[in-house]
Amino acid sequence: MTPAVSLAGVEVRLGGATVLDGVDLAVGHGEVVCLLGPSGSGKTTLLSAVAGFVGVETGTIDVAGVRVSGGGRYVPPERRNVGFVFQSYALWPHLGALDTVAFPLEAAGTPRAEARRRAATILERLGIGDLGDRRPAELSGGQQQRVGLARALASEPDVFLLDEPTAHLDPAARAAAEELVAAHRAASGAAALVATHDAAEALGLADRVALLRDGRIVQVGSPTDVYDRPVDAWAAALTGPVSVLTVDMRDGAIVLGDAVLPVRGAGDGRSRVALRPEWAALGGPARGRVVSLRFRGPHTDVVLDTPAGRVLLRVREAAIPAPGDVVGWRPERVWPLGTAGPLPE
Amino acid sequence: MVLVAAAVGLVVVPLVELLAETAEAGAALDAGTGGAVGGSLLVSTAATLVAVVVGTAGALITERGPRPAVLRVAFVVPLVVPPFVSAVAAARAFGSGGLTDDLVGIAVPGLVGPVGIVLVMAVHAAPLVYLLVAASLATRARPEFEAAGLASGASPRRVLGRITLPLLGPAVVGGGALAFAVSMNSFGIPAVLGIPAGFPTITTRIYGDLARSASDEAFGRVLLLSVALVGIVLVAVVAAERMGRRATAVVPGAAAREPLPRTPPGRRGRGFLWVYLGVTTGVPLLALLATALTRAVGLAPWPGNWTLANFSEAWSGPAWPAATRSLALAALAASVLSVFGLAAAVGARRSRWSGPVTAATFAVPGSALAVAVLLAYGPWLRDTLLLVLIAYLAKFWALAHRSIDGSAASLEQEAVRAARAAGAGRWRTLRRIVLPSLLPAAAAGWLLVFLFGIHELTMSSLLYGPGTETLAVHTLNVQQLGDVTVTSALAVLLTVPGLVAAVVVARRHRRAS
Repeated sequence: MTPAVSLAGVEVRLGGATVLDGVDLAVGHGEVVCLLGPSGSGKTTLLSAVAGFVGVETGTIDVAGVRVSGGGRYVPPERRNVGFVFQSYALWPHLGALDTVAFPLEAAGTPRAEARRRAATILERLGIGDLGDRRPAELSGGQQQRVGLARALASEPDVFLLDEPTAHLDPAARAAAEELVAAHRAASGAAALVATHDAAEALGLADRVALLRDGRIVQVGSPTDVYDRPVDAWAAALTGPVSVLTVDMRDGAIVLGDAVLPVRGAGDGRSRVALRPEWAALGGPARGRVVSLRFRGPHTDVVLDTPAGRVLLRVREAAIPAPGDVVGWRPERVWPLGTAGPLPE
Repeated sequence: MVLVAAAVGLVVVPLVELLAETAEAGAALDAGTGGAVGGSLLVSTAATLVAVVVGTAGALITERGPRPAVLRVAFVVPLVVPPFVSAVAAARAFGSGGLTDDLVGIAVPGLVGPVGIVLVMAVHAAPLVYLLVAASLATRARPEFEAAGLASGASPRRVLGRITLPLLGPAVVGGGALAFAVSMNSFGIPAVLGIPAGFPTITTRIYGDLARSASDEAFGRVLLLSVALVGIVLVAVVAAERMGRRATAVVPGAAAREPLPRTPPGRRGRGFLWVYLGVTTGVPLLALLATALTRAVGLAPWPGNWTLANFSEAWSGPAWPAATRSLALAALAASVLSVFGLAAAVGARRSRWSGPVTAATFAVPGSALAVAVLLAYGPWLRDTLLLVLIAYLAKFWALAHRSIDGSAASLEQEAVRAARAAGAGRWRTLRRIVLPSLLPAAAAGWLLVFLFGIHELTMSSLLYGPGTETLAVHTLNVQQLGDVTVTSALAVLLTVPGLVAAVVVARRHRRAS
């Protein structure tokens, strides 16, 4: 079966700079792929290339099996069947919610009355059926986001392109929006490509996550893949809190000072390894000095100074050490990192 | 307080005097004055329609295209050419006996007459529409709204009609009102292209009755026409303001962190725009220069016939002292108003009204303002440069004030509070934080007033007396006497400061961005 979206060797140049550099990516039908990367990594440009707001230098883009960019072809945005949810929502200031959602239907030739009726149904489904006459200036951020989503839903696209869909929302509205995106994407069965710089959002929303650095995809995989098995230190830091240690390993055990600890994932030789906070615990033969403590509510972040490097731990117990204490700890699992790739900042 | 007093003395007292005198004179609209009002309304309405179309299309093509900087500068060049010079240049380029007539035997019919007045007025007003619409394209009809329309499956034409143009509405209306006001107030263009054809407008009629006639009856007509002009312009400006206020707000908070990249539109529109700019600005200015350099009218404008004699003749006689007066008046007005503007920005609390009120003073027609100043201060100051200076200050107040006030409004209250919190006293905060941030705007305001001062013809031509002639007035007088080559030489000289300023500003702008 042809994928909903497929990019092959896509290069995009804007104002003389290469913004996307040889991107290969396929999104299957009904699949959610999150583009995770820091700002300036090319996420928005990738979405814009799929939508047709920018052309490609080399490479090809297909939407639902139809070549839309590359190989001498350029299909303008209005004739690609995509639904775009904009970072700034891009709601037209002069139109009410109902007219906004009816707009793509009318553009597709649906008579006005019918378009408005169907728009009302969509607004109803998103729980904002009573806000049909409101203009963007009269809506909260979360409501604007829903109207933007409703507009994208209305055109029943082959693929949803969501650019930082929750960037401007407060935490409560953000959770609701993630829920909404997931539910409606599942209901419509369409593919979605979501750009985000928030690791937790990407991991929670996606079937697969693509990590983007300087216009290149450095890793693609399921959320557990990219979290548990990052390709390098940069990818590890991008996907969640992590400590990067330099350790000696022997036959599946890590040598920390006098202690030789069998650890899941350990190999042989001296290497950098990634250690997620929940992969280690306080209490054990390895030694570390407490550098800082930060109470986070559900847990407390404890940073230890160890011979192998700084270690971040999450502690739930009531008995929490004080800064300066020398405590015991033990790693339960590590992920060896390649030597390639820049260090996380 | 001083500022309020200055505003009252400069604008309010003269206008009240004008109204009182008009009521007293009790003149009525007759066929002559009615014809002038009708003529002004006709050419101004037509010029406004053309300017709105050209300015809006120009903004859409320029701002949505690649590298808009060069086109932007080209589009606003007509603003730095005195309107009077544009009229002379248009006649030299496309009139009978002009450049195209000489070269290919084509002249625009009716160029001297209403057709020419409308075209030159439109070329001068289009940049004003352009500036407002271009600003609105950046802040109100933002590119992502168009992208959202396209992504919704609407064709570019549908996006333009349903999204971009409705959002630009207030800017187009505002620009149209400005274009109408500027056209109604224009004197230089109908003076060159209307008077010889016997086509009447309000401003030329006021000039004719005031400068060329001394009867009480004529003065009654002047008063009536002045009041009519003020009334028409204020109604238009206020109506546009009310229409603009009804417009919906754009949510400011949710701007994209990364601007959406987009592929620029086609090249055809830009080609059209360059042809338009070449025909309306480039060719006329070249024709003007060619005439100024050619030995006599009727000779082909080739190097063999070139001479600098026109310039030396233009420069002899009263031109030199007139130029000195122009420079002094313009510099003085610019300096006084910059200081006023700084004082107002620093000292006064900004009220909701200060913006519209200062804008209104700029909309008050120069002809009427000159008559009003003459009524209020003429008895003491007749035939002095001070009288002309008062008129300049009253008219250009808004230019300096707007520029500085806009900058003061954007200086965040927090910046001032941060300085105070950092331990700076009121005076130190003013000297180190507030004034330095206002100076660029003050300099821009100075330059703007200076240029308008050099170009000013409408009021100067009504207020000048023996020994207070400015360079623009001198040029008008030479033109009315019919000396085409010397007029062209003077017109070229009159245009140089504006073009130099435009180039300097454009280069600084490019370096800054």
